[in-house]
Amino acid sequence: CVLVWCFSQVKGAVDDDVAEADIISTVEFNHSGELLATGDKGGRVVIFQQEQENKTQSHSRGEYNVYSTFQSHEPEFDYLKSLEIEEKINKIRWLPQKNAAQFLLSTNDKTIKLWKISERDKRPEGYNLKEEDGRYRDPTTVTTLRVPVFRPMDLMVEASPRRIFANAHTYHINSISINSDYETYLSADDLRINLWHLEITDRSFNIVDIKPANMEELTEVITAAEFHPNSCSTFVYSSSKGTIRLCDMRASALCDRHSKLFEEPEDPSNRSFFSEIISSISDVKFSHSGRYMMTRDYLSVKIWDLNMENRPVETYQVLGENHFECCWNGSDSIVMTGSYNNFFRMFDRNSKRDITLEASRENNKPRTVLKPRKVCASGKRKKDEISVDSLDFNKKILHTAWHPKENIIAVATTNNLYIFQDKMN
Amino acid sequence: MLGRGLKRKLSDYEENMAGLSSAFDSSRSLPYPLKRQLVLNMCLTKLQTYKMLVEPNLHRSVLIANTVRQIQEEMRQESNQQPVNICPGIAPASHSYTGLESPGISLQLPSGISQQESHCCDLRSFPENTGLKLEDDRQDLKGAECVFGSFEISNSTSYLKDLAIDDIFEDIDTSMYDSDFCCPPLMPPRSPSLICRTDLSELDHIMEILVGS
Repeated sequence: CVLVWCFSQVKGAVDDDVAEADIISTVEFNHSGELLATGDKGGRVVIFQQEQENKTQSHSRGEYNVYSTFQSHEPEFDYLKSLEIEEKINKIRWLPQKNAAQFLLSTNDKTIKLWKISERDKRPEGYNLKEEDGRYRDPTTVTTLRVPVFRPMDLMVEASPRRIFANAHTYHINSISINSDYETYLSADDLRINLWHLEITDRSFNIVDIKPANMEELTEVITAAEFHPNSCSTFVYSSSKGTIRLCDMRASALCDRHSKLFEEPEDPSNRSFFSEIISSISDVKFSHSGRYMMTRDYLSVKIWDLNMENRPVETYQVLGENHFECCWNGSDSIVMTGSYNNFFRMFDRNSKRDITLEASRENNKPRTVLKPRKVCASGKRKKDEISVDSLDFNKKILHTAWHPKENIIAVATTNNLYIFQDKMN
Repeated sequence: MLGRGLKRKLSDYEENMAGLSSAFDSSRSLPYPLKRQLVLNMCLTKLQTYKMLVEPNLHRSVLIANTVRQIQEEMRQESNQQPVNICPGIAPASHSYTGLESPGISLQLPSGISQQESHCCDLRSFPENTGLKLEDDRQDLKGAECVFGSFEISNSTSYLKDLAIDDIFEDIDTSMYDSDFCCPPLMPPRSPSLICRTDLSELDHIMEILVGS
């Protein structure tokens, strides 16, 4: 059954006057779910860490508190083209943890960076030649020899850029995706997809190029791309024409010819002036199992079986536009996407039930159960329902993320991050 | 087995959503060719606006350009099938765009047309011909496609070697898209018909939601 959800936390400024730099542009849990990263329009990354569960508070899971904040990207000016390059973080992707440090990739429109986040909770004390404050001692006063020892200090979390992958994209980067080999990753812009090795910054391989010889013939752009979670040679990319192409890198160096093309034939009775616009896919995500993929377009969320190209196996109606993302829960049984009016929707694939919830400060007491919302056609409004005419189309939930193992979700409104969890017991 | 591939039984929410998506085709008071022309004008206006940006959004431009192409293709097919004007309420104006340059021209309507339609058609910002002529279509199409020409130039690393910008655009008559006539007032200064204005702003609203500004 569709879970019952409770408010857990909200992060961000309370007032309605939103500073543009604070607008959240991406949300991503790491592989364990312990860390939750957000990127914003001002180029900053904020990482939250889940508290260790307290045995005495077994009725709720650990809270997320700020762990690290750093400036990932700065605005840049391209002098050759007279263009400003926005510092807005388009995507964050975590690497799986290999040692004590955490690594993530963050990208703006043009440059991808690999960040190392490490903890320091000890420092060496007792130098021979230096005072504790760093000043050098007068050598004539040094009469004994001692070995510095590490002593505990307040936890410091440091973020340092380890790699900068630049100058490979003419158009705006919309996706990054780490390969299951954990050594390579792809970056996609409107017309091209490049393959990188995490250790090598001075070159990348172009694996998809849909730029026509004559730009005036351009009719389609790439909207999202992702590597398959298990098969290291497989990736998909979605387009503004509503198609998804699955490519196998073993077939050729340049994957311009797809291995599979997923497209639902258009229902001619649904044709309208806006058909071209509403068929555009805004996001594509593989299920954790790798058996399915989910796409988000203007009016629906579709689940595709990778073995069937001619139509999706499930379709769920929801309102959106060309930047809404979608995500799977850990067991691939529920999918979630955002909508307008700060609503977000969840669809249980097994029971076929769905729920609409709202991210709002009105429900901000911890463990308050969220009331399901209902949107109705204009004129037929019942009590507590919202008419589609009164939806606030400026309040969009573009970015949502689901904890990989637990029923904890992070939902970003314009400048606030809401964390909800399912009602335990 | 078709089970899961079919849409589920419509819930209230889905009915509503279906209603909203059919609002894109809204069967309101405007006759279809007029609605189509409105949408076409809106799209061309947007393309013109995008062209003026230093770095237009490629995704949005492609979506709008495709919409323009779709509408023009439809118009082309209709004009191939029917040599007669589809929109009988609008008298054909002079056969070139120079007609637009004299703002005093208003559309002459046969008396048989209903009052409502005549109000709708009396908007001076409409281009004279409703794009039924092939020549007009080609002009429109070039208007749409020359957006991407500018992408090429601003984004190509070898643009310094390429044709001068003027060469690419020299044969395109963009007088139709001069901002005086096309943007933004698709709304008449004094709207004679409330229904008309609602429809315009509704379409505009839908475009805003779908594509943004």
